[in-house]
Formats: sequence, structure tokens, C-alpha cells
Amino acid sequence: MDQRKIEGSLRGYLILLLLVVLSWGIFKILTPHNFGSFNNMLSYFQASLIASVGAVGFYFVMVMGMFDFSIGANIMLSAIVGCVFATKLGLGYAGLIIGALLCGCLVGLFNGSFYVKLHIPSMIVTTGLALIYEAVANYIAGGVEQTLSADLRMFGQMPGDIILALVAFIVAYVFLNYTKIGTYTYAIGSNEFVAKNMGINVNKYKVLAFILSGGFLGIMAVLTISYGSSMVAVTGMASMSRNFIPTMGCFFGVAFKKYGIPLQAIIIGEFIINIIFFGFIALGAPTAIQDVITGFALLIIITVTTKINKGEIVK
Amino acid sequence: MVAVSKTEMTAAKEKKTGNLSMISAVKTYLPIVGLIIVFLVFNVLTNFRMVKNMPLVLSQVYVTMIATTGVFFIMTMGGLDFSQGSILGIASIVVCMVSRINIPLSIICGILTGALIGAFNGYFYVYRKIKSFIVTICTMFLFRGFIKYLTTNAPVAGSAALINFDKTELKVALTLLVLVTGFVLFRFTKFGTYLKAIGAGEKAAMFSGIRTDKMKFWVYVLSGAITGFAAFINVIKVGSVTSSGGSQLETQILIALVLGGMPISGGAKVRFENIIVGSLLYIVLNSGLTMMGFSTQMMQLIQGIVFLVFVAVFADRKSLQVIK
Amino acid sequence: MIQEGTMSEVRLEVKNLCKSFGITKAVKNVSFNINKGEVHALIGENGSGKSTLTNMLTGIYSIDSGIFVLDGEEIHPKNQVDANNHGVSIIVQELGTLSGLTVAENIFLGHEERFVKCGIKNTKQMIKEANELLHSYGFDRIKAQRMIDDYNFEDRKLVEIVKATYFDPKIVVIDETTTALSQEGRNELYKVMDKIREKGNTIIFISHDLQEILDRSDTITILRDGVYIDTVKSKDVSEEDLKRLMVGREVTGDYYRSDYGSKVSDEVVLSAKDVSVPGLLNKLDFELHKGEILGFGGLSESGMHEVGKAIFGASYDRTGSVKLSDGTEINDIPTAIQHSIAYTSKDRDNESVVLNQSIMDNICLPSLDELADKRHMLSDKKLRDFADKFAKDMSVKMVNVDQFVSDLSGGNKQKVVLARWIGKDSDIVVLDSPTRGIDIKVKQDIYQLMDRMRKSGKSIIMISEELMELIGMCDRIIIMKDGMINGQIERSETLDENNLITMMV
Repeated sequence: MDQRKIEGSLRGYLILLLLVVLSWGIFKILTPHNFGSFNNMLSYFQASLIASVGAVGFYFVMVMGMFDFSIGANIMLSAIVGCVFATKLGLGYAGLIIGALLCGCLVGLFNGSFYVKLHIPSMIVTTGLALIYEAVANYIAGGVEQTLSADLRMFGQMPGDIILALVAFIVAYVFLNYTKIGTYTYAIGSNEFVAKNMGINVNKYKVLAFILSGGFLGIMAVLTISYGSSMVAVTGMASMSRNFIPTMGCFFGVAFKKYGIPLQAIIIGEFIINIIFFGFIALGAPTAIQDVITGFALLIIITVTTKINKGEIVK
Repeated sequence: MVAVSKTEMTAAKEKKTGNLSMISAVKTYLPIVGLIIVFLVFNVLTNFRMVKNMPLVLSQVYVTMIATTGVFFIMTMGGLDFSQGSILGIASIVVCMVSRINIPLSIICGILTGALIGAFNGYFYVYRKIKSFIVTICTMFLFRGFIKYLTTNAPVAGSAALINFDKTELKVALTLLVLVTGFVLFRFTKFGTYLKAIGAGEKAAMFSGIRTDKMKFWVYVLSGAITGFAAFINVIKVGSVTSSGGSQLETQILIALVLGGMPISGGAKVRFENIIVGSLLYIVLNSGLTMMGFSTQMMQLIQGIVFLVFVAVFADRKSLQVIK
Repeated sequence: MIQEGTMSEVRLEVKNLCKSFGITKAVKNVSFNINKGEVHALIGENGSGKSTLTNMLTGIYSIDSGIFVLDGEEIHPKNQVDANNHGVSIIVQELGTLSGLTVAENIFLGHEERFVKCGIKNTKQMIKEANELLHSYGFDRIKAQRMIDDYNFEDRKLVEIVKATYFDPKIVVIDETTTALSQEGRNELYKVMDKIREKGNTIIFISHDLQEILDRSDTITILRDGVYIDTVKSKDVSEEDLKRLMVGREVTGDYYRSDYGSKVSDEVVLSAKDVSVPGLLNKLDFELHKGEILGFGGLSESGMHEVGKAIFGASYDRTGSVKLSDGTEINDIPTAIQHSIAYTSKDRDNESVVLNQSIMDNICLPSLDELADKRHMLSDKKLRDFADKFAKDMSVKMVNVDQFVSDLSGGNKQKVVLARWIGKDSDIVVLDSPTRGIDIKVKQDIYQLMDRMRKSGKSIIMISEELMELIGMCDRIIIMKDGMINGQIERSETLDENNLITMMV
């Protein structure tokens, strides 16, 4: 491997490590007794894997410069579909995974296709579609909380959750670095017009990115419902609250792209976010404050990582 | 109900090919024709229950219409604001709390609160150059957290005297005040022209002498203030604020503007009438669906589909190069 | 017309090619032949259609009508990769490589198929082959596995050269590439060009540097205003001949100003002192007099384009002072406009006109304060009359003032911009590349307008890369080099391009 490349990624890792230690350190000092032990950290890490899985998929969409407001609705819907396949249709683990995965990919297909066909900004299209996905989820769930039976919770605990997450990360890594999809994703994100001229079918790869992202969100749905054991179908865009944590991790990925370690940055980034969360809980902050922190933290992360180019037009 | 301005009709007539003029005519008339049709359809389907219950139907429109005016200005410039619901929520809480001391003061405090949050949004958007939708979804989340926190133990209740203000005449008057002022400002002063120029071509607008950064910032403050004013009307209707106070307002506003025929990226083709027709269409659609006994999920499904259709029809494709 | 060799020597036939953009006809029924094993230059002024033609050949633009026949076979490239598969490639003027990808990925972009097995890309093989290619070109210092962002503009151009030529294409289009390269880079390019010619393949060479054209090419085809003019052999013509063919007429006084020796007023309307912009301008000092046309010339990176912005208050981090005769300091655009300064940018579509608004809105925009009544209200009728008057004054070709500016041709867009500033009655007008990409007739209109303005006491600053128009129109020409003033020349009948060029390079 090239000397420069190793140096670059080393820098990236060091920065991430520093952030981990810093966030751990601050809360350890503030509340040493109910925070920060090895077991604590392990559970924070496990919890963070859930969002990381979704975020690595969503990365493909974000690198291209697009956005997706329907992440939360996708997770909710896929979790419910997976649950239904597993319990009501009696298909067990196979049903859980296949159901959620298929559903996630289908949602991605809809997102991508509508975006490409209708020619409207991705964030608007996905907002409208999120409304529809929520409605569909409500139809399937029928207002009843969908519970995953106790014998199907393998992915909500060690080692099932870590194994599934690891598989997902490896798949994402292969896609990003060893397939045309990865190359073209970066190409389109870099300069769509030039990419098109090079004969890259931009629309096809945008749709593929959405499908890929949807699939990973489907797996995230499996982890979510296994961890929390149940899922409720909400309406009124309430599912949007699930958008934020994967999105934040994704921003880490985009910020660390220049060090060549985007996926690793996402995983570690989500870990850091979770440390901060649990830190505040250990401090006794009310649960409502979590949202304040999330919103504020995301804003700060973006502010700090956004370079101000004089004269640039930002909408 | 709403007069289509002469400028639009002349422009439509003088388009080069017949095809273009037909599409343009559809775009101009679709919202208002849609409004009339939907209104009639629902009345027929519910045995004219809607006409009988007009005050009830309309009672929901005031807050939406007022807040939509502010967002209209933002979107004309090409920005977005997803934090409106949280602004309404926090401003409503402030109004409730201050109303126990003095009611006129509470109105002013509501406006100030909204303006402050607008300034917060505006700062990150204009001076840190972060995309407006990112800034405002962060602030939406952030302030929603505050609302949840402030209402953890119990809803925040306003003064009992507030109920005296819950009169239709007052609400209509206040709404008209905002609409007429907004209309005059937008249509007849350079304010509107500058906003459209920024939305259509910000760089060129800057080179024509428009102080774009200042304008963008103050429009966010203005929009926050307007929503803060709407909070008062919200509070006199509901009397107290719960943790979900104001939630979804931003989606309602977005849908209302889209139904009203406003192009998503703003610019030259926006018209003030979008606000009025859109809000009415949204409320009528919603009320009609509710009156017909549709479930929440069916209503949302229809909302989503209608939204997508309208956005696709009204998108100003040429000026959309900027947003992905 | 000179046609050499038998039909079998012909590589490419261009037959009746036409292309329009909206109402602008960029290429009008062009036909000519290009032979094998030659460097064939394509020259013409801005707007002559040469880039449009080559873009159609390489699949970047679609063809309206007409055909290309390559080695006897008709081709219709849909995009660059398709063109590559037919043996045609292009090296563009701007950046043709993509950031965020490695050098190897850039070289093989669009052609990854042969490295992909079962969906998996053999990155190692790609890098190995890319390195071998780079070595064969003598570009060993560029490593295929590195991100292309690690390399500067010139090295990235070299990668682009490899990308465009490694598969032995039959035709390579080199579009204005040399202007952006240093002498070293140019030499590398010339080496590659020679190799291609030796192999019996063809190069279509586009450049503004007529001397370079004469030195490096075998045959030259001239286009003007989208129309084919002639094809000549380089050894048979001189630079003067080429210029004449390009412009199409003797440059007489009727086109530009016809007066000489008129005295410019001593009254200073604007003075710039110590004006610097980091990386672009370095301590500029100059003065503008009333009724004067002051020209700025130089190479495009000389910083002269920034001068216009600096005077208009549009530069970032500008130090030094720009002062008017009454002492007012100009530091931002609104102040500049309020104090009667106008500016037309080189980047017309982004900085001068709001494309997605009507002609009326564009013309009225800076004058809204004056057009409003006592209560700050604007009347539609007043705006419309105002816009109408000035649009007609400038003879803008339009349906009416409600038409969107995006529908207009380049020349008419420029007229709308000028109409706006005439409407504002600005006293100091800064024009940056005012006639770029505009056809001859409209150019003449603009020159005549400038003369009228000058006579009525307005002061003009004209920044241009076209030496002829500077010589024809200006009272004084300041030549810039590397961000500094490198010389100044007074208006005179005997003034020649070479006088200017020596100060520019």
C-alpha cells in the first residue's frame, strides 16, 4: 500500500480515537460510578452497531449528494414486515431477515425510481413517500404493537448482533471498494455531468444506491426489532425521529472520506454518539433532553465539518 | 375567490407553442379548480355536512395560513424550513406562560420567541453556510426536545381568560391582517422582487445590488416571528400545550404550499395566492377525508400521493439544477 | 478549398452538420474532410462553432442533423465512452478527471468491464496496468493507486492525456488544452501528438494561439459564426492570413471607434490605490478619467478579470482603496451601484442575468428604488414601461419583456444586461468580456453603444481577452501579468497586437 495512504488513514484513526477517549473521559469524570466501565462500554458499542449498519448503507446515497427523509419510515416498515413474516407466517429467522431485507430494498427501489422519474429533489420525494410508507406500515400492523417472540431474539444480543453487523459491514466494504457501484457512486458524487459524459448511466446507479441503502436499513430493522423486541406503527411523520442517528453517523463517514476510512468512521462515530447519549443518561438528564442533545450535536458536527467557501451559494 | 393576476394570463397567452400554453394554463388553474372540485365532491359525498360545519372546518386554517405566509417567503428565496412545528410549540408555551401575567404581552413574547428561533436558524444557514434543510431539521429536533421537557409532567396551560379571545371574527381578522400585509409587501414592494431574484439566481441577484446574506437572515427571523404570532391563535383555541404541540406543522405547510401550486425551489414563478389556495385545499381535503370516516392511515396515504403528484406537476424544472 | 490525397486517405468526413441551442444556431451546415496521419487544426473566434462540432463528434452533444463518417462508417456517438469505442477521444479544456477517484480509476473510467469478474473489480490488476501505461508515456512520477486529488492541475491533465490516448484512438480531439499548461506540460503534449501522428492516426487541434497552430499542425480549417470558411495547409499561410479568414473582413474604423487623437478629460472619476486580492491582484494603482474608455488586457490568469470585481466591490478580502471623485469608498456591491457604478461579468449566466426571471425583472432590478413611489410601492405598469423602453433602445430580440432571459441568445442576454445599466444611468461602467461568444453584428452594436456612452460623458472600463477590440476601442490599455500592471499603451492608429503581446507573456 502507498505510504501516503497509510499516513492519511492513520491520521483519521487517531482523530477518531481521540474523540472516543474525550467523550468517555468527560463523562467518566462527571459521573464515575454509573458510567464507563468495560461492560458499560461494550453495551454502548453493541447498541451503536444498530445505527451503524443503516448508516453504512445510507452512505452510498449521501456520497452522491442525495438525501433521504424516509429512513425512519423504512426501518419501521421493514421491522414490521420482518416480524410478520417471522411470527404470523411462521417463517422464523429466515422470514425475519428476508422479510425485512426485501421490504427495505423495495422501499429503496421506490425512492430511487420516483426520484429519477419525477425529477424533484430527493428530500422532497422521500418526504412524500415517507407518508405513504407510514400508512402502509399502519395497514399491516393494524394498530397493534408487533412483538418478536422470545425465541427469535438472537440478533438482539451477543454474539448474534455483532455477527450480523459484521457481515453487513463486510458487504458494504466490498461494494464500496471492489465493485463498479462503489466507483460510480464516488464518480457521480464528484461531478455528475462529467460522469454522465463518461457513459455512466447516472440514473441507474442512483436507483441502485437507494436500493442498496434500503437493504442495509432493512438489516438495521432486524437489529432494531431484535434489540427492542417490538415495533409500533406510527403516523404523522413521527418515524422521522429515527432518521437522525443513522444520518449523524453518515456525516462522520462523509467527513472522514478524505482519510480513506469512511465506513470505519461511521462505526466509530456512532459509538461516540452513543457514549455521549449514555453519558447524559448516567448524569440523570431527563429523556426529553436526549433529543435536544441529538439535534444540537448534529448541528455542531456539521458546522465544524463544513468549510465556508466565500461566494458559494448554499440553499 | 382568488383573482388570477393579469400578468400570468398574458404570459400564458403569449407562449410560443400551443402545448406550452396548455401546460402553463393547467399549472395556473389547477390549484383553484382543484379546490372547487374537491369542495364540491366532499359536500356531495357527505350530504353537505361540510357546508354546515364550515366554521369548524375553517377553524383549523388560521394557524396554518399564517405560518405558511412566513414559510412562503423562505421558499421563494429557495430555502426550506422544517422547524416550523417546533417554533409553534415553543412560542405557544411562552404565550401560555406569559398570558398568566398579561395577555397582550404574551402575544409580543410569542412573536419574539419565534423571531429568536428564526435568528438561530438564519445564523447557521447564512453565516455558517449550511444547507437550510439540514439546519432546520436539527433545530426542529432540538426544540422538540425542549417542548417535551417543558411538558414532561403536565401540559403547559395558559390563562383561563384566553378562552374569551376564541372568537371567529377575531381569528379571521388577525389572519387577514397577516395575509393582506404580506400580500402588499410581496407583490407591491421590492421585497417580493428581491426574494424572487434570490430564489431564481442568487449570484446575479447579489451582483444587482441585493444584500442577499442580510435578506436571507432576516427572512428567517421574519418567518419565525410570524409563526410566533400564529402561536397566539393556536393557544386561544387549545388553551394549553402538550408535548406534541405544533408537531407536523412543517409538513402541513409544505403540503399546503405544494397543493397551492408553488414550485419547490421558489424563484420567479411563485405567487402569493399559492398560500391561500393551498391552505384551503389542504384543510378541505383533510376535513373531507375525516368527515368521510377514513382512517388516519388512509388519509395519510392519500396525502402522500396527492403531495407527490402536485410536486411533480408544479416543479420548476429549469431552476432545479441546484438541489439534488 | 484544398483537398489532398485520394479518398482512402480520408479519416473523417464531416457532412452537412447542423446544431442549434434554442434559437442560437451554433453550427450551420458544415462540411469538410480530415485526413489520416495529420494534425488538423480547427480555428475560429468565440462562437464560431468549433467546440460544438468536436463535442458532437465525441458524444458530448447530440447531433441535430448531418453525419460524421469515420473510415467509411457512419457514427453517432451517444456519449464519450461510446465515442471511445469508435476510436474517438477528447482532451477537454477544463478538468476532465474526477476528484475522489484514484488515478487508475480515472484512466479506465467507463471501461472497467475487462477488470470485473462476477461483479467484483480486480483493483490490483487495474492499478498494475495503469502504472504500466503511465510508464510507457514517461510519466513515472504519477502513481496509479494514488487519489487523483493528490496531483495538481497539470499532472491531472497528463493523466487525462493517457486516458484519452492509451487505446490508440483513430482521432484525438485536443480542445484548447495547451492554454492551461505550462511550457513543460505543452512539450509532453507535443510528444504525445507526434507519436499519434506517426502511428497514422489523426489529431484535431483547437487553440487560440495562432503561432502554435502554425508550428504544430499540418492542415487548418477555419470556421466563422458556425459556418465553414476554408481549409488550408499550414506551410502555405501566415498569421495575418489566418486572422483575416477568422474575422472575415479588414478591421476598419467602421467596426470599432474611428477617432484618433481625441483628448481625454483630466477629471478623475475613480482611483484605485494599492488594490490587492490574495492570490489574484497585487498592489494595483490606476485612475479612470471622465469620458475615457480604459482597457485591461492580458492572459486569462493575469488577474484582469478580478479587477472588474475589485472596482465593483465584489472581491473577497480586497485590500487597498477604490475611491470615487467625491471621496466615497467602494467596498461592497450595493454601495457601488448606489454610486453609479455598473458591472457586466464574464460569467454572464451566473453573475449578470437571472436566467429564470423575465427580461422585465432583470432590467428593473437595480432601479427598483427609483421606480417606487413615495410609499415604496411598485406599479406593474411603471416597471413594464421602463423595461420596454430600454429593451427596445438596445434592440433586444424578444417576444415581450415577460419572456424569460434563459430563452434568449448570448448576444441578446448581453443586451438585456446593458439595458439594465443604461436604465440605471450609471456613470462608470465596467465591462468584462462584453462581446464574448457574441456574433459580429451584435458586437458592432455594442461597440457603437460604448462610443455613444463615452461621448455623453460616461466612463468605461473594458476588460477583454480579445486584443483587437481593446486596440479598436480603448483610449488607454493597461496590460496585466501575474496580478500586476505590466505596462500601459495609449490609443494610436499604428498600434498592433504584438505591442500588447510582448507585455502579456
